[in-house]
Amino acid sequence: MVMEFVEREKEERKMSTSELPRKEANVLKGHEGAVLAARFNSDGNYCLSCGKDRTIRLWNPHRGIHIKTYKSHGREVRDVHVTLDNSKLCSCGGDRQIFYWDVSTGRVIRKFRGHDGEVNAVKFNEYASVVVSAGYDRSLRAWDCRSHSTEPIQIIDSFLDTVMSVCLTKTEIIGGSVDGTVRTFDIRIGREISDDLGQPVNCISLSNDNNCILANCLDSTLRLLDRSTGELLQEYKGHACKSYKMDCCLTNSDAHVTGGSEDGSIFFWDLVDASVVSKFRAHSSVVTSVSYHPKDNCMITSSVDGTVRVWKT
Amino acid sequence: MDSDEEDYVFFGTPIEREEEITSRRKKAAAEASGNLRSLPPWKQEVRDEEGRRRFHGAFTGGFSAGYFNTVGTKEGWAPQSFTSSRKSRAEVKQQSIFNFLDEDEKAELEGTLGTSSQFDTFGFTAAEFARKQADKEQKQRPSAIPGPVPDELVLPASESIGVKLLLKMGWRHGRAIKDSRARSLYDARREARKAFLAFASEDVKAPYPANEPDEEPESFMAQPVDNDTRSSKSLPAFVCNPKQDLHGLGYDPFKHAPEFREKKRLHLSNDKQHGYRKAISIKDSLFGSKSGKAAPGFGIGALEEYDAEDEDIYGAGYDFEETCVEEDEEPSILSIESKQPSRLSIESKQKVVAKDQGVLPGFKVASVSDYQLERFDPPIIPKDFVPHHKFPGPLETLRKLDVPSPPEVPPPDDSNLKLLIEGVAKLVTRCGKLFEDLSRKKNQSNPLFSFLSGGDGHDYYERRLWEEHQKLGDQAKLSLDGKHSPSARKMTAEGRGKLLGEKPLDRSTKETTSSSIASREFQLQFNLSDTFKKPDSFSKLPEVAKPFKDDPAKQERFEQFLKEKYEGGLRSTGYSSASNMSEAARAREKLDFEAAAEVLEKGKWGKESMVSTQPLDFLAAGMQFTSGGLEQVKDTHAEDLVTKEKYPRREEFQWRPLPVLCKRFDLIDPFMGKPPPAPRARSKIDSLLFIPDSVKGAKPEEDAITNRDVPAAQTGAQKTIEGAAEEEIDIVAENVERPVDLYKAIFSDDSDEDEEDTITKKVEDPEKKIEVATTTLNRLIAGDFLESLGKELGFEVPPDTPYSTNKASSSAQIETPNSDAVIAKVGTVEGHRTFCAANVGTGTSLNPEQESTQGGESPKNESIPGKSVRYSSKHTDGLSENISGTVNADKFPPEDKKVRSPSSCQRNWSSSSSSEYERSRKHSRRHRYRSSDSYSDSSSDDRDRYHSRSKGKRKRSSREKSSSSRKHSKHHKHRSRDSPSRSHHGSEREHSESRKEKRKRRN
Repeated sequence: MVMEFVEREKEERKMSTSELPRKEANVLKGHEGAVLAARFNSDGNYCLSCGKDRTIRLWNPHRGIHIKTYKSHGREVRDVHVTLDNSKLCSCGGDRQIFYWDVSTGRVIRKFRGHDGEVNAVKFNEYASVVVSAGYDRSLRAWDCRSHSTEPIQIIDSFLDTVMSVCLTKTEIIGGSVDGTVRTFDIRIGREISDDLGQPVNCISLSNDNNCILANCLDSTLRLLDRSTGELLQEYKGHACKSYKMDCCLTNSDAHVTGGSEDGSIFFWDLVDASVVSKFRAHSSVVTSVSYHPKDNCMITSSVDGTVRVWKT
Repeated sequence: MDSDEEDYVFFGTPIEREEEITSRRKKAAAEASGNLRSLPPWKQEVRDEEGRRRFHGAFTGGFSAGYFNTVGTKEGWAPQSFTSSRKSRAEVKQQSIFNFLDEDEKAELEGTLGTSSQFDTFGFTAAEFARKQADKEQKQRPSAIPGPVPDELVLPASESIGVKLLLKMGWRHGRAIKDSRARSLYDARREARKAFLAFASEDVKAPYPANEPDEEPESFMAQPVDNDTRSSKSLPAFVCNPKQDLHGLGYDPFKHAPEFREKKRLHLSNDKQHGYRKAISIKDSLFGSKSGKAAPGFGIGALEEYDAEDEDIYGAGYDFEETCVEEDEEPSILSIESKQPSRLSIESKQKVVAKDQGVLPGFKVASVSDYQLERFDPPIIPKDFVPHHKFPGPLETLRKLDVPSPPEVPPPDDSNLKLLIEGVAKLVTRCGKLFEDLSRKKNQSNPLFSFLSGGDGHDYYERRLWEEHQKLGDQAKLSLDGKHSPSARKMTAEGRGKLLGEKPLDRSTKETTSSSIASREFQLQFNLSDTFKKPDSFSKLPEVAKPFKDDPAKQERFEQFLKEKYEGGLRSTGYSSASNMSEAARAREKLDFEAAAEVLEKGKWGKESMVSTQPLDFLAAGMQFTSGGLEQVKDTHAEDLVTKEKYPRREEFQWRPLPVLCKRFDLIDPFMGKPPPAPRARSKIDSLLFIPDSVKGAKPEEDAITNRDVPAAQTGAQKTIEGAAEEEIDIVAENVERPVDLYKAIFSDDSDEDEEDTITKKVEDPEKKIEVATTTLNRLIAGDFLESLGKELGFEVPPDTPYSTNKASSSAQIETPNSDAVIAKVGTVEGHRTFCAANVGTGTSLNPEQESTQGGESPKNESIPGKSVRYSSKHTDGLSENISGTVNADKFPPEDKKVRSPSSCQRNWSSSSSSEYERSRKHSRRHRYRSSDSYSDSSSDDRDRYHSRSKGKRKRSSREKSSSSRKHSKHHKHRSRDSPSRSHHGSEREHSESRKEKRKRRN
């Protein structure tokens, strides 16, 4: 599975290298203070950013327009996610709550309280029926969006340290934690698979084929894991990531791995041979988040410098 | 009533009646104590003692004050009517602070600002006050002269004689005397002398106001504050003053002369007797009242002297002096009234006081004392003692100077050796012979140091030593000449710093000899360390490969180990004390070493061709048998070596998604209809202890089961405990020896029992059926568990794939500590878990049927794509997690195995700790029930819970049961045959022990 995937990548590699988004298309300014996350929506037409100014902002990155601001959080907003149908948002942050928003009205539909600490990451599941949040309290919590209950419907507390990041597939919940593990909770078979990387995991992201997990570890290394076997497929180094929560992701073709660095530059690695394909300075400060367009060669990055930048080929 | 009120919940507002105010108060109190405590702070209300709410939010009135929480007047705030000042500019009101103050505040303010006649102790107000008082009294009293007496006629003496005196001396009302006194003291006295002379003559003629005090004692009382008026102290009113001293509050006349205090006290007691006489005798009063000033007045010359010495002419000191005189009853002094004798008497008195110091008044110092302080003479210092400490080192060197010099020897070719020799020689010279001996002993085995014991380069060493001695001797002499004690020189700051390896501060080139020595020392140290650090010097054992190159410390230990191993004899002399490693780590390392040594022996260690991962592999393989029962503390060294290999490592656990989550994810709950999951590792103990009480409803037959069923568990437990208590190696051996078919022991267990029971109960009790079904299920799970356990322990489990793959081994290795704990726990806990223990520990025959069941199950597990065999074990994860780590096998004393005879299958591990045994016996009845509980706790908890959950699914399970029960009936029989032979006592104890253990754990 992996091999064919790798083969395919090889073919595409040369072509895609030139198509890396390296040109700055837009700068989205508006956040006061650090932007902690920037996310494309599912179709890539819009993006959301959130930051230390306690707001979530909706942008059209392609036109560089600020569309809406969502204010309700009491503290910094650390992560935001939007449903597939773009109707709902969820966000989380330092106020220990998960906010469930209506996109169009900008109202908070529900607030989920229960985390005992800051909430680092939040994700909708496929049907937008569940929000899964990852918290400083070493737990993953699943919240039901359908019922009116504000109690978590599941608490996963097998982590030994802060859970930094969460990813969802159709059947699994995957969390990355500072305890160095990436834990996959397979709902279908009722298993927890723990892959210990030995280094604090900052951020995890799934490859587009869902076969691999890219984990950003605090030893300035991105690690690519094969999800089925737990093998370490590749390590990507060169950037600096020692103390910030920084996102990483794969490009939409899974040909490259991209991630920010604490010096404000963006790195592109070749997926297979882990060489730095491209590296350029994008921000004046730590790059907190990168998000790749689901279809086009477009990427948004956010930084502590308060900007969200849109990159295109 | 009160308590009732507390309990009730009140709705609405009660109608208040007068008499209810008290109850309201009570309520308020109750609320404050009980209700408010539970309320969050923002909901709590502050109420006054009447239960009224007095404090409102900032926007709803703040503190309730005045009228209806508004202001101080009924009208409320009335803004000052605006008047334009345009037309009447001149009339602009001057605002003062009083415009803004409330009445009470004004009163307060006035109070503070105003003067009070009360405190006007003299001066005109006082006089006025006195006069008024006198008037009042006059009016009240029937007087000889009817009608108001004209003021001019009857003038109350508002002024004391002192005041008069003072006034005559130039003092004015309102002026502080004290302040000016120091400055104008001399002048004032001179004035006073003159004035006194004049005044005294007057006074004699005039009726003396000594009889006045009865007229107005109060005015005197009000007046005496000033020091100068104290001259009136001899007045009776003053003598009776309960304050007992005549000074202002806080004034201490003896402040600067504490030696008089004692005397004063003595005097005071006498004063009581003398006071009377003093008061009435005119002469006394004359002198007394004026004594302050009069006495000095008698002799100017004497006064001059006195003045110069003692400032406090008006103070009590003098008065005291006078009473002393009286006390002594020396009329001569009194009459002479000369300064000198009285002072003399004071002095003599003082002497007496000094003698009696530390003696309580009324006590005498005992003339004969039992207690005598023993005194020893100080040791006599020998005449030849020189107050310099001499260190043996230099002395030695001095002595050695006489030693004939060894012949000059060329240094050895090896420059390292030369350096070393020189360094050691220098050190030995400095530190004495002792150092040489020490280092010789220490480095006996080190070929490098052979020169110490007459080996290579010994001659050179001797020579160097002599040279150094020579040198040092010279220096010592030098320094001695220069009046430096050698010891002092030796331990200079730099020297110490050097010794500690600090860098010397840069100094100017001009240095004292000591610092130059120090720097040389440093050099030496440097050289020495250089020498010692040379890794080449240790490469004397080229034939020994270094399997632990990365870790020099470990390598060292390894070499030590090898040496010991080949030398034979009792090992672990140096080895055990070698480091601060934990017991577990050491044991593990030892195993590593053994394995490595073995490999070395076989000659498998090539040059560098060996891949470094190889040792890791065998280490890993070796370790998985050995770490059982030990703490899970990871050997750091091993960790370091293995780290690279280990990550990423994969572990799998059971995880139970809640049904809702599954529903929301649109997935089928994998655990649908299964018992609720046991919480994961963190709460494993709790899960054992907080198993639903439904168990308690446990059918009576289960108790029976427990009793019969335990022996198996017991043996298992014994075995495992024993195994854990033994050394790892032993475990390995034991484990390896143990035939694989231990396995079967498991299945002979309580299934049979259940089976039997269920067969009997089958018909009448439908619930039992379900139970059986669940038992079967448990069996299956247990089978999986066993399988995995066996794998972890390295057994060949029949239906399994061989566990030789790298991954499996590594995972097994990771798991081992856990699994061992599991075994131990399983032993102490009971029920089907004992299977596992039995698996390890006992050698009963394999039950083929059970295996087939299990075999049938395991492929199913393995069929899960991409999941390793470990899945099957994880299937029972809930169990294993529960079990793991709860019992530390280390706890059991190693003597256990000695006590037990190996052949007895009834070995009871608890018997070794006899006290516990006794206890458990005493409470055997109780324990029996408890043990039955615990049995059902663990062995049937799943069942029960399942049972409770699956009531709705009875049909399904009954089907299952019908198939499974058939299967199990045989085991039952088999089991029942076995069980009667086993003791029940042991089981009880077993259980109680396990209980205790659990409780302990929980604590």
